[in-house]
Amino acid sequence: MGRILLVLRLAARDVRRHPAQAALLVATITAATATLTLGLVLHGVVQTPYKSTRAATAGPDVVARVAPPEPGPNGTPVGGSHASVNPAALNALTRARGVVAHSGPYTLADTTLTAHGTRAAVQAEGRDVAPATLDQPELTAGRWVRDGGVVVERAFADAFDVHTGDAVKVGGRSFRVTGIAVTAAMSPYPSAGSMVDGHVVHPGLVWLTRADARRLAVAQENVSYIMNLRLADPARAPAFVTAHEPSENESLNLNAPPGARPAVPPPPPPMLQSWTQLSDNAGNLVRNERRALLTGSWLLGLLALASVAVLVGGRMAGQLRRVGLLKAVGGTPGLVASVLLAEYVVLALVAAAAGLAIGRLTAPPLADPGAGLVGGAGGIPFGVVDVLVVIAVAVAVAVVATLVPAVRAARVSTVLALGDAARPPRRSARLIALSARLPVPLLLGLRVAGRRPRRSLLCAAGATITVAGIVAVLSAHAQLDAQRTTSALADPRTDRLSDVLALIAVMLVAQAAVNAVFITWATVLDARRTSALARALGATPGQVAAGLSAAQVLPALAGAIAGIPAGLGLFAAVSPDDAPTPSAWWLLATVAGTVVVVTALTAIPARASARQPVAAVLRSELA
Amino acid sequence: MDIGRPLVQTHELRMDYGQGTGAVHALDAVELAVAAGETLAIMGPSGCGKSTLLHLLGGLERPSAGEVRLQGERIDQLSERALARLRRDAIGFVFQAFHLMDELTAIENVELPALLAGASPRTARRRATELLDRVGLTDRAAHLPSALSGGQRQRVAVARALSNEPLLVLADEPTGNLDSTATLDVLRLFDDLRATGQTVVIVTHDARIAATADRLISMRDGAFVEETRLTHGSTGRLGALAGLEEG
Amino acid sequence: MPRAVGAASKEPSHGYQLRVVQEILLALLAKDASHGYQLRARLQLALGPLAEALNAGQVYVTLARLDKAGLVRAEHVGQSDRPDRKVYELTEDGRARVMAWLDDTSWPKPAPAEFHLKLVAAATAGLGDPVRIVDVQRHAVLANLAEAQRAALAQPDGAVAGLLLEGVVLRLQADLQWLEACARYWSSMTTKGH
Repeated sequence: MGRILLVLRLAARDVRRHPAQAALLVATITAATATLTLGLVLHGVVQTPYKSTRAATAGPDVVARVAPPEPGPNGTPVGGSHASVNPAALNALTRARGVVAHSGPYTLADTTLTAHGTRAAVQAEGRDVAPATLDQPELTAGRWVRDGGVVVERAFADAFDVHTGDAVKVGGRSFRVTGIAVTAAMSPYPSAGSMVDGHVVHPGLVWLTRADARRLAVAQENVSYIMNLRLADPARAPAFVTAHEPSENESLNLNAPPGARPAVPPPPPPMLQSWTQLSDNAGNLVRNERRALLTGSWLLGLLALASVAVLVGGRMAGQLRRVGLLKAVGGTPGLVASVLLAEYVVLALVAAAAGLAIGRLTAPPLADPGAGLVGGAGGIPFGVVDVLVVIAVAVAVAVVATLVPAVRAARVSTVLALGDAARPPRRSARLIALSARLPVPLLLGLRVAGRRPRRSLLCAAGATITVAGIVAVLSAHAQLDAQRTTSALADPRTDRLSDVLALIAVMLVAQAAVNAVFITWATVLDARRTSALARALGATPGQVAAGLSAAQVLPALAGAIAGIPAGLGLFAAVSPDDAPTPSAWWLLATVAGTVVVVTALTAIPARASARQPVAAVLRSELA
Repeated sequence: MDIGRPLVQTHELRMDYGQGTGAVHALDAVELAVAAGETLAIMGPSGCGKSTLLHLLGGLERPSAGEVRLQGERIDQLSERALARLRRDAIGFVFQAFHLMDELTAIENVELPALLAGASPRTARRRATELLDRVGLTDRAAHLPSALSGGQRQRVAVARALSNEPLLVLADEPTGNLDSTATLDVLRLFDDLRATGQTVVIVTHDARIAATADRLISMRDGAFVEETRLTHGSTGRLGALAGLEEG
Repeated sequence: MPRAVGAASKEPSHGYQLRVVQEILLALLAKDASHGYQLRARLQLALGPLAEALNAGQVYVTLARLDKAGLVRAEHVGQSDRPDRKVYELTEDGRARVMAWLDDTSWPKPAPAEFHLKLVAAATAGLGDPVRIVDVQRHAVLANLAEAQRAALAQPDGAVAGLLLEGVVLRLQADLQWLEACARYWSSMTTKGH
């Protein structure tokens, strides 16, 4: 018991003696735990809002739609007028097995909405004034449709900055906005996308009266019909969709005998969507955020691990050399290791608490499912399991990083008395021979780096992780850019995700900077004698400073280059969709930026170290 | 030994540490002149300032006041960079604690100054081989310092000091960490250096290594107190010293 | 010649003899005149336990010789004519002899007693700075050591003569260590203001 108290007391004293280090370390681990907390918290958030919306709007289990056939090779619509689109196929579905109720068919016209001088693509759905039994959109402002009035879907209204009472033009005709509503029958803006003229368009959704819609339909050519279905067993909706989904052959009309191709091709069969698919789409925003945050938290956690490992390595080396101090403390290297372990575990716990708090506090804006759904997140789900996971991760970082040096120290206790002999530098004959051919700063840099291969590896790993993270963020950005709506409207999905990605990128860079600072500290401390000796033998302070910098910059450069394929691979693993690779210039800029940042961070301590009086250092260092 | 212009000179050299009442005057207006090719030994108790003097001669520290001249040029006012070049090209150091790089073999240690001076790896390696041969450690060239005895390590250090053909070799307690057998080996080495005309300044409290010098100066409390030229001829007193009675 | 250190079976009355007892007595008289017994007391103080083994009569015999040689002048004090009532005083010749002795750095054999007394005398009589005397002697011994060492190094490996020369060197080295101790002692004495 007394020993534990001693260890804790020594740990407390250590923290007081290196307050800046402790603070930086807590910040490092907190970054990781906060993002992890956010990621975990968002897990439960995805499902709830859609369910609330479905309940509020009496959402359908299956949505069926018949659309006009794709335009022919020369772009002209096949079949001419909308009359070729036959809602009869939809009616057939109402008699299918398992269907207990339906609403519709409603017309759905591809048209445009003009407001505040800007035009956007919309789909206009024709509705009864009386409420439907299935899929009655929930009004959040204003009133339901009337002649001359249009109700706008809320997410789209937010993006377009449209409010109740505004005067707008739909399909060229003037309307007034009578209300804003949400629905569970369609993915909220801008989830649904369609191809128009070769590029992706995300149309908004508006509701009109049947009469207005019909008038619109006459003027437009692209009219679809949409029907909502309720099943006896909602859970069977996906199976229902699969069962009634047209096969590829059918949709391409290949089943008909070759010679019997009709002059007018039969109308395409209805496309079905289950409510689970809609739910998935609706949750995409938060889901993507969560994926980004979890991946980010992994990267940040690894960087924190590297930081702690470097710190521990440097501290152990420093403490093992001060034999007198050790004896005064009455300790063995095992004691030193336990003190360090206790110190870092406590700091990790503090960081875990801080991360949990920050994550919990910053969760609501990120958990907001977007304007297209009601019901919010229904309170952030924050279970005991989440808390335990975060604490476990933080402590694991501290323990894993301290473990290797601690075990090693416990084993070399008998050799301790010779001071530095407890941690002799490693020798790489090839590296030494290679460095002999290089100019003096690189000669010194390579040799300093080669003395502590583990630390050089941590430095490279840190760079790899950071660059990988940034490359992944860049890839995500490229993907977002490709998916971005072509209109001038705000795209809530991409905006928020961009913010989250930017935040993660900033945290990665900050973490990497802290890592670099720790490594520099450890390197300068460890290379004191080598630097002084090199200067006594005739290396100028500039050469020595450049060498100490190079000892970090070279591994960082190697790591950064490796980070590019790692980042691309990371993104491919995390994102289900194909992503365009970020431009080569950005990748080059990332690598170059890493090198510049590492050089800058190491330059000042390196220069300071290279200017220390040689004689004093050599006198104080034992052979 | 020519009595022309001295190779190394100091004038009114002072070194103080600290300030006010706690100030320590490590060196007190020291005047020194070392001729080219001369071996000078400076002896004194610990804390007398002899190591400080050596560091000042080698440009490892800057004096509080006074001049240090090498070949007539002042070196106490040079920038760090110029001092480094000086140490690289003109001055070789031998330390009490050897200060070899633990992760380099003997030959890699010896070739380091040449590499720092920009020599090609092949030239540096060749010179290092010659020097190791000169100190009698050819068979230990590929050994790490941990595999060498104290005397061997110091001999490697001496070889390293000679790497760039320095004008001046400065040795700070070269036998301080050695036992008597190792001391003998290093003694022979310094005697050798003297014979080849290398200018050497040794700071020591070991009488045996001091006795290899041409000239001997005693220091106390930062100042010179006594100076003797050690002759190389026979004084005829050897018999008496050995205990043989006179007539 | 002083005899070798003997076993306890030697009769104390024979005792040891100082080779340079003349010079020492002269030096002790340099400050002021003394009685014979006072000189003996000072000698005993300086020699400590070794003084007991000194030949008791040597002091007086030597004083008489010095008087005859004109290096000291004996004066009778009081009306007593017993020998120990004489007061001895240093003459000019005697003083010159003392100074010559202090400057003499020959070091034929290890002889701590003699050099030790030289320092004591110099200190108590104010004849010179003992630290200075040590420094000068050190350099002389170093010169000797250098000569012996060179001769030793010049011997081919394995030559038996080298062993003898090594012996000379090592003994001189030991002497030097003692001389350094003397310097430390007398240096601290000086700073204490003695």
